[in-house]
Amino acid sequence: MENRIENRMNRLQAEGKKAFITYMTAGLPDMETSINIIKAQYEAGVDVIELGVPFSDPVADGPVIQDASYRAIQQGVTLAKIFDMVEELRKSCEVPLVFMMYYNTINHYGLDNFVQKCQNVGIDGLIVPDLPFEEQGLLNTALSKVEGAPYLLQLVSPVSTDRIPMLLENAKGFVYCVSSMGVTGQAAHFHKNVRDYLGKVKSVSKIPVMMGFGIRTAKDVEMFEDIIDGAIVGSYFIKYMEENNYDLQKIKEYISKFKTEF
Amino acid sequence: MEKYYGEFGGQYVAESLMNTLAELEKAYEEAIADENFWKEYNYYMKDYVGRENPLYLSQRLTEKYGPKIYLKREDLNHTGAHKINNVIGQILLAKRMGKTKVIAETGAGQHGVATATGAALFNMKCTVYMGKEDIERQSLNVFRMQMLGAEVVSVETGSKTLKDATNEAIRTWAKDAEDTFYVIGSAVGPHPYPAMVKNFQSIISKEARKQILEKEGRLPDAVVACCGGGSNSIGMFAEFLDDKDVKLYGVEAAGLGIETGKHASAMAKGNPGILHGMCSYLLQDDDGNVQLAHSISAGLDYPGVGPEHSYLRDTGRVTYESITDKECMDALMELCRLEGIIPAIESAHALAYVFKLAKTMKKDDIIIMCLSGRGDKDVHTVAAYLDGQDMNK
Repeated sequence: MENRIENRMNRLQAEGKKAFITYMTAGLPDMETSINIIKAQYEAGVDVIELGVPFSDPVADGPVIQDASYRAIQQGVTLAKIFDMVEELRKSCEVPLVFMMYYNTINHYGLDNFVQKCQNVGIDGLIVPDLPFEEQGLLNTALSKVEGAPYLLQLVSPVSTDRIPMLLENAKGFVYCVSSMGVTGQAAHFHKNVRDYLGKVKSVSKIPVMMGFGIRTAKDVEMFEDIIDGAIVGSYFIKYMEENNYDLQKIKEYISKFKTEF
Repeated sequence: MEKYYGEFGGQYVAESLMNTLAELEKAYEEAIADENFWKEYNYYMKDYVGRENPLYLSQRLTEKYGPKIYLKREDLNHTGAHKINNVIGQILLAKRMGKTKVIAETGAGQHGVATATGAALFNMKCTVYMGKEDIERQSLNVFRMQMLGAEVVSVETGSKTLKDATNEAIRTWAKDAEDTFYVIGSAVGPHPYPAMVKNFQSIISKEARKQILEKEGRLPDAVVACCGGGSNSIGMFAEFLDDKDVKLYGVEAAGLGIETGKHASAMAKGNPGILHGMCSYLLQDDDGNVQLAHSISAGLDYPGVGPEHSYLRDTGRVTYESITDKECMDALMELCRLEGIIPAIESAHALAYVFKLAKTMKKDDIIIMCLSGRGDKDVHTVAAYLDGQDMNK
C-alpha cells in the first residue's frame, strides 16, 4: 500500500518544489468546519496537514496550541470522534494526514487498536512529541504488524547533535526539524546555530527535511530555503484562522500565498 | 543505570531534552561515586538541615492504639518537611554541573520553599512554578518563597494545580536547559529523577533503621508513609525493601472517597499512563486525558505517582491504601491533642492509616510512620475545615 506522504514528497521532489505543511487542532471550531478547513487547504495547495489530537497536558506546546487543545477537550473532541471525522473526510479528500498527539492518548486507546484504526481511516503519519527514539519500540512493533500503517515521523532538535544519525537511520516520510528550543509557537526567534544544524540534518537525511516551530510566513524561512525541503506552520495558523473567524476563503489565501512565495 | 521499573518509568520527553537527561545521568552517576559529594551532602544534612532527626516513640498514641508507634520526625527539619533532603542533593549536583539557575514546581509549596532555600544558600537564581489554585490556598508559602528571593510564577493553564505547574516547569526546562537545572520535588519524572530523588530521600530510612535497632534491638513490623508523587514514602521504604518481614504501607489520598471520583489515588483503579516523562499509574478519563485529583492536602493532590511505587504495588512488596479527607483531619487533630504535634495534612493521611493498622496488630508490635512535615502551612485549611467548609472545593 502506498503512503500519501511519500507520494507527495516524491512528486514535490520531481517538480523541484518545497512542501508546505500546516497544523490545526482537530474539532475546532467544530467537527464539520474542521472537515471543510481541511478540504479548503487541500484545494489551495497544502501538501500535508498535521491534525492535532487534543490532550489535557500538552507539554511540548506553547500557549496557542495549549489553549486550542483545552477548548477542543471542553467541546468534547476525542480521538474516537476524530477517527470518525477522518473517515468522513476520506470519502472525498486525499490530503496526506498526520496525527500530532501525545503518547498517553495512543497508549490508552491500545497500541494495536490504534494502529489498525489509523490504517482503516487513512492516517499517513504520526508525530508523538513525548515519545523519543528510545521509547518507540512498542509503538514500532504495533506499526510493523499492519500493512499500510502510518509512518512514525522523527523529530530532531537543535541540541540533538550526536543523536542525529541514529534518529535518521530508519526514518520515513519526512524529518521534522524543530527550529528553536522549547515549545511550539514562539516568535520566529530561531536557535543560534539553526543553519549549521539544519545543514547537518540535511547532509545525513535520505528523506525530505522540514522545519517547524515559530514560522509565520514564507519570509521567515527564506534564509534556509537552500537547505530545507519544506516548512511547517502551527500556532500562527491557528491564530490566523481564529482571527479570521475560520473563513475558508481567507484560509485558502494564506495557503496559496505561502505556497507561491516559498 | 536501569531506566525502567518493570513496565514503569522511562524517559517520555521531547527529543530536545534527551541529551539534557543523558548529561544529567552522567553527572549524577559521577557525583554519587564521589565521596566528596556525599561528604558535602552529609555536612549540610547535619549542620544546616538539623539531621539526624529523632525517631520518637509516641507514648500516648501507643497507649491508646496498642502497638508501639514511632514517628520519624521529618517535620523537625529546617523548612519543615522532608523535601529539603532531596533539594540539597539536587542543588549540589546542579552546582557541580555548572548551572546557575534552578526551577521547580510546587503543589503545597513545601518543595518550592525548600528549593528557594537551597537556591539562596548556594547563590542561584530560582523560579518556582505554582498553580494559581495552590497559590491561593498556600499563600503563606508563596510569601516565604518570595522572602527567600525566589520568583513565584502563577500557572493558570489546565487545572491550575501541581500537574499544570509541572507541565510549565517542563516547558521552561526544554527551553533553558543549557544553564538551568530542574529540581523535581517528588519521586516522579523521567529517568534519572525517580532514582535520584529516592537516593537523596533514603537518608530517612537509613536513620530510621539504625535508630530502631538501637532502641528496640529489632526491625519494625510495619512502616507507613503517605504517598502523593511518593518522595517521602520511597525514602522511608528504601532501606527496608530487602527486609522481607517488614511490611510496608503507602497511603494515598482518597479525598471525598474513591467511589465519588474526587480523590487523588492514582493506584486505586490501576490504570497505567504516561505523564511528566514517566509511565506509571495515572488518573485518567475514558479518552486518556488526565483527570483532576482531589485532596484536602495540596501536597497529595497529584494524579500520578512515582514509577517505582507502581512497580512495588504490582510486585506486592508495598501495600497501598487510601485515606479520606475526613479520616485524615480526625487523625491530625488527634496528634495535636495527644502529642502536641501539628502534622502536615499530607502526613496525617499516614497517621490515619496507622490507627487502622494498629487494630490488626499486637501490643508488642512496632510501627514506624514517617511524619513527613509539620502543619504550620496548613492552619488556614484546618481552620476552614473545622469551620465546615473545604477550601479546596
